[in-house]
Amino acid sequence: MSDDYVVLERLKLAYGETVAVHDLDLAITRGELLALLGPSGCGKTTTMRAIAGLLAPAAGRIFIDGADVTYTPPSKRNVGLVFQSYALFPHLSVFENVAFGLRIKREPKPSIDARSRAALATVGLEGFARRNPAELSGGQQQRLALARSLVMEPKLLLLDEPLSNLDARLRLEMRTELQRLQLETGVTMVFVTHDQSEALALADRIVVMKDGIAVQTGTPEEIYNRPRDVFVADFVGFDNILYFRNGMLTSDFGSTDTGEELPGSDALAWRPAEVILGSGPMQGRVIGASFAGQYREYVLDTGLGKIKAQAPADAPPHTIGGLVAFELPLAKAHRLPGTGK
Amino acid sequence: MLTNKTEALALVLPAAVFAVAVFLIPVCILLSEAFRSDGSWSIAAYVEFFSKPLNQTVFFRTLKLGFLVTAVSAIVGYVAAFCIVGLDPTSRGRIFGLVVLPLMISPVARTYAWIVILGRTGIVNKALTGLGLTDAPVRILFTETAVFIGLLQLFMPLMIISLVSAMENLPRDAISAARVLGASWPQVFIRIILPLTREGLVIGGTLVFTGSLTAYITPAILGGAKVLMLETLLYQRVTVANDFLSASVIAMILIVMSFSTYMLLKRVAASKRGAQP
Amino acid sequence: MKRNLWVARIVIFLTLAFLIGPFLIIIAAALSAGSSLAFPPQGFSLRWVIAVFEVKSFRASFGLSMFLAVFGTVASLILGVPAAYAVTRYRIPFGEAVRMAVAAPIIVPGIIVGLALLRYLVIPVGMTVTLALFLAHTALVLPYSVRVVSASLENLRPDIEEAAVLLGCSRFGAFARAVLPNIRGGILAAFILGFVTSFNQVPVSLFLSGPGVRTLPIDMLAYIEMTYDPSVAALSALLAFLSIAIVFAAERFLGLSRYV
Repeated sequence: MSDDYVVLERLKLAYGETVAVHDLDLAITRGELLALLGPSGCGKTTTMRAIAGLLAPAAGRIFIDGADVTYTPPSKRNVGLVFQSYALFPHLSVFENVAFGLRIKREPKPSIDARSRAALATVGLEGFARRNPAELSGGQQQRLALARSLVMEPKLLLLDEPLSNLDARLRLEMRTELQRLQLETGVTMVFVTHDQSEALALADRIVVMKDGIAVQTGTPEEIYNRPRDVFVADFVGFDNILYFRNGMLTSDFGSTDTGEELPGSDALAWRPAEVILGSGPMQGRVIGASFAGQYREYVLDTGLGKIKAQAPADAPPHTIGGLVAFELPLAKAHRLPGTGK
Repeated sequence: MLTNKTEALALVLPAAVFAVAVFLIPVCILLSEAFRSDGSWSIAAYVEFFSKPLNQTVFFRTLKLGFLVTAVSAIVGYVAAFCIVGLDPTSRGRIFGLVVLPLMISPVARTYAWIVILGRTGIVNKALTGLGLTDAPVRILFTETAVFIGLLQLFMPLMIISLVSAMENLPRDAISAARVLGASWPQVFIRIILPLTREGLVIGGTLVFTGSLTAYITPAILGGAKVLMLETLLYQRVTVANDFLSASVIAMILIVMSFSTYMLLKRVAASKRGAQP
Repeated sequence: MKRNLWVARIVIFLTLAFLIGPFLIIIAAALSAGSSLAFPPQGFSLRWVIAVFEVKSFRASFGLSMFLAVFGTVASLILGVPAAYAVTRYRIPFGEAVRMAVAAPIIVPGIIVGLALLRYLVIPVGMTVTLALFLAHTALVLPYSVRVVSASLENLRPDIEEAAVLLGCSRFGAFARAVLPNIRGGILAAFILGFVTSFNQVPVSLFLSGPGVRTLPIDMLAYIEMTYDPSVAALSALLAFLSIAIVFAAERFLGLSRYV
């Protein structure tokens, strides 16, 4: 237990009458990089704001480093937060943005100077100290926001959608930056994202949230390979989810006999790559086809609704409008327990 | 953190209490005075006010001048705004600045200038007699015409500003497209410009109309006792006759008229916001 | 197209002549050497411009108007900045009612406010006319202060305050260090707009005048009724220049039009 740096205990968060997070229990290990993953409105950002102290919980408690901080003001929590919009101070120079927190703490001048310069150097902005934040590019602004938090040497760093405003190249750069930071400083990091690939790539552990409830917590491998329910499965790329009842595979659109009994499960999921294309007992009409380098992706209109499938790029392509045979191999199906539909 | 209602109330309360205490309560008492006669509620004061021919004349004159000034400034405003919008950005900014400029200058100074122009020995009369058009100076000052001219000069900038902003938001090639499709200029105006600038017209019109209705300085300087409008009548009733009942009635009329035009303005502004998804 | 351009130029010239021409005439009349108001002026002299400064009542009323414009606007900002902050940053209970109360002085004609204050505060309570004028001018300018400051607050991201709090500021500290420096321009714009509005205000002050207590525009109105010499023209010209200078400087250094 001593390794739990942040503990949320039956945390309930609400905006007025609207409950955003229900009875959340969560323990964040010292030094880990945790992702809160979920669609917008799932309560992930709200949870992060509560940890920072920007939102008072309606019920429950928050511990940081063993101390109950539920009613501690944000300024006393030593928590860094990098806002999605960066929230840089437009009236201050790059240097003054970084020095802001130290000045509030009334650090001695030489120390402010040295530490701010060091923080700017850490994020590679040494040469920009006298600029105005508005003159920086998006990636630079984000690194400035990061430096502004880091200079306070927080034990806990919160990041709101840290990669969402960046283009592909900057994303990779930022990703490396965050991982290096975690290694070098051992800071505990929590970041919020709606992008599963981002969470899978970056996090040590992922909490998938839906409608204010943590639906599954686990390592990226666990989440990716063993989604607990239909929602998580759908979120991590199981595009074909069907229900199994009385020996029949069913969907909202129709059903088919599998000829087999599968005890104990009532939803089955396949990734597009797991669908066998070109042979099998079922048929579908190709209504969409796209080339994705290594493979081609098809959308089939079938008696079970739309099925997404992949075929190697070197296989002969199927034309739109044509009929294709396919199979949903039961042996590869992921069983999703407890989704009673 | 930003959902704290007590904190929010503590911040607005000083301003709200001030506005209510210094402003709403005294004004409401004033308005209620006309409804109280001999200790009971009645509308006798209103009946009496409107039974006097002078008051009727002033009431209708105020309305008439309000509508006239609004209509003329709309017509002139459209032509002027259309020409201004057609200019290159630099000179457009400069001209726009010159249109706004008078709004910042004391209305007393603005109105006083017309005495120099319209007076017995003013420019207009000098020109008329000089050209031999009249023998004796024509009386322009202290007529409705003078008040009309003064109000028009005072409030027209508001109309032009509203129309210029509305026209700047016209889709770039809407007019050219309509012309290419064979529309004549009047058709272009009625089918393209007018519907697309309706909001600017309503805003400008409301500002000009309420401004004219509640004008004091212009009728006081250019109309005098001969051409009273509602506000000058109010002032006269109070200072000359201590007649607070009439003052209360006029106050009510003015407030009802400006409040309803204000609400109209708000409706139009709201419907515009509603139309955008 | 060439012809159209000329038509446009003529229209604009005529409009501006109507709107601004009278000022040029009044400036010319003010520089007249003659003893009555006339145009074209009879000779050139500065005698009426100088005369303005020698009229005692003008000096007193100019002082009063300055006092009202400066302190009324400052008071309206002291009330208005917190209100603007609350209106833009919180969902206020009865928000619409509060907004209406604060905006009311724009809707209600000034003459009625002046009369109401005279009748229910000055006469029965014995409030001094100067204080009533101060209150009335503050109320009059309040809606502008709230609106202009709100506009500049709306252009400012609310999360920079949260960032400041997380960096160790108190709630008030965050406002003072993260918000205030960023809305300085808006506050200054509100001050200038309020100053000009208050200084030029007539209807509110009409009834609120007592022995020796008169705002400058009211004094000018009274002077116009009594005399027909060019001193009021000279004063008008001076005031026009003052306003133009203030607005021009504000536009030049602040971009005033961004806030209005």
